[in-house]
Amino acid sequence: MIKVSNISHFYGVEQVLYDLSFEIKSGEFLFLSGESGSGKSTLLSILSTLLKPSKGELLIDGESIEEISNIDYFRQSKIGFVFQFHYLINYLSVYENIALAALENKRQNINKVLGELGIADLSSRYPNEISGGQRQRVAVARALINEPKIIFADEPTGSLDSKNSTIVYGLLQNAAKKGTTVVVASHDMQIENYATQIIRLKDGQIL
Amino acid sequence: MISLKALTKNRFKSLLIFSSITIAVMAIFLISSVSQGIIGMYSKMIKTDGDIIITQKGISDTFFSNVDISLMDKIEKIEHVSSSYAMIVGASPIGHIPIAGIYGTTANHFSHYKLSSGEYPKKSEVILGTNIAKQFATSNINIGNREFKISGTYSSEIGFEEGGVVMNIEDAGKLFNRSASFILVSCDSPNAIDEIIKKISALDSEIEVKTTQNFVKEYNQFKIIENSSFVISFLAFAMGLMGIASVMSMIVNSRKEEFGIMRALGKSRLFIIKNLFFETLVMSVSAYLFALVLSLGILALLPHVEMLQGYVNGSLSLHISLYVLFSTILMALFGSLIPAWIASKTDPILLINQGCA
Repeated sequence: MIKVSNISHFYGVEQVLYDLSFEIKSGEFLFLSGESGSGKSTLLSILSTLLKPSKGELLIDGESIEEISNIDYFRQSKIGFVFQFHYLINYLSVYENIALAALENKRQNINKVLGELGIADLSSRYPNEISGGQRQRVAVARALINEPKIIFADEPTGSLDSKNSTIVYGLLQNAAKKGTTVVVASHDMQIENYATQIIRLKDGQIL
Repeated sequence: MISLKALTKNRFKSLLIFSSITIAVMAIFLISSVSQGIIGMYSKMIKTDGDIIITQKGISDTFFSNVDISLMDKIEKIEHVSSSYAMIVGASPIGHIPIAGIYGTTANHFSHYKLSSGEYPKKSEVILGTNIAKQFATSNINIGNREFKISGTYSSEIGFEEGGVVMNIEDAGKLFNRSASFILVSCDSPNAIDEIIKKISALDSEIEVKTTQNFVKEYNQFKIIENSSFVISFLAFAMGLMGIASVMSMIVNSRKEEFGIMRALGKSRLFIIKNLFFETLVMSVSAYLFALVLSLGILALLPHVEMLQGYVNGSLSLHISLYVLFSTILMALFGSLIPAWIASKTDPILLINQGCA
């Protein structure tokens, strides 16, 4: 599903990733682990097409990122995101936040997805009217709405208690079981229990 | 839909943009319409009562023009000339008022000023325009170093005249030391105007003879007012533009995270630009309408402000309204598109991270 070949990345003159190469197969639950500053968030941003790597090649679903003509549509249709701080848009309701991410032909599934995640009753509420755990579930719903091939999650439980963390991991694991590739970058070693593949990073290199 | 929600969410910032656009648009409206009003008033004064105007050659302003009044006798003998009158226009302190317009005219032109009370002025007498009359409860007033009896009051549609004083041309001649500022001639046949101009021109080498239409079109003072108004309007426009651009870049900066999320969710650059532009457009057009209503209110009040003596008037033409609407949309375009473009081309994750910073 994802093939990384010789990827390096620099912020200015500072190199943060060193010549990384690996593959992630379809349906894997990959855990990207490492300390702060190890480069895992940068790697996740590159894998999810949010950041162009300084060097190297990235193939997703057989397509080279450099050669994709409409990266926005590619991202919308094939990739789902769950961020640490949920990143919901405050002035949109839960339903509208998910609708913003949804492809035209997936909009009719919004209520179904909200129902599956147990947050159907929050549909008309605004992010500042719901709890942190509920927000993160909305973020997962938003990531799932287009039935993406890959879900990227950056510290998805960083701001949650253990009960809500378990719920979020469970949701991601379910997605992986249905064939979605899940890539999670986190400090939380609890993910090892869910992961089918682990990449440990230190100082921008794979250990 | 998203744009409208964003506007209501960012109320304070929306209000900032709305206010800066309203002020810029009002400035353009008021400057343009007041200058057009001044031009309109003076044009009307000249155009309503004559087809041909005679001024001193090479003098750019009627205030400094001096034409020999005795020419009137010769002019009235020319075929197709139906009437003529002479006028002196000047300005002087009147009583406690630092400056007001003084119109000295031949007796055959007094009927132009509609008497509200009293009678037309004889020697050493004046009639006062309605606006200036409100400021004098006395029966005599001092103009220059002379005292004049107030013989009546008059009304006029022209603000300049409403705030001025009318007297005999002989008295005005002594006051301003000239014969006449200009002579206006009416004709009984529009086809004869060119011929009459030639004949009048031949009477005196020191005069300039034009149709009143051409005079108004070519009058230097009007060009100066129009150009000044254009420059000041342009500066107001530029200030408005910079205000919008800076507020928009503040807004774009404070919303980088939001735009980053949208890009991460697969929304295109065009989607972000379109939404930002639509937000600014909604604010600009509503600020335009608000400024239009405020400006109309102010322009309606201006002629009644006693301190202004009716001299500052404004007319809001369709031409000005459309010009300002066009300028407003331009302000919105440039003010929002540049910061939106810069935001839209940044990597989404950088936008998200910068937004958090």
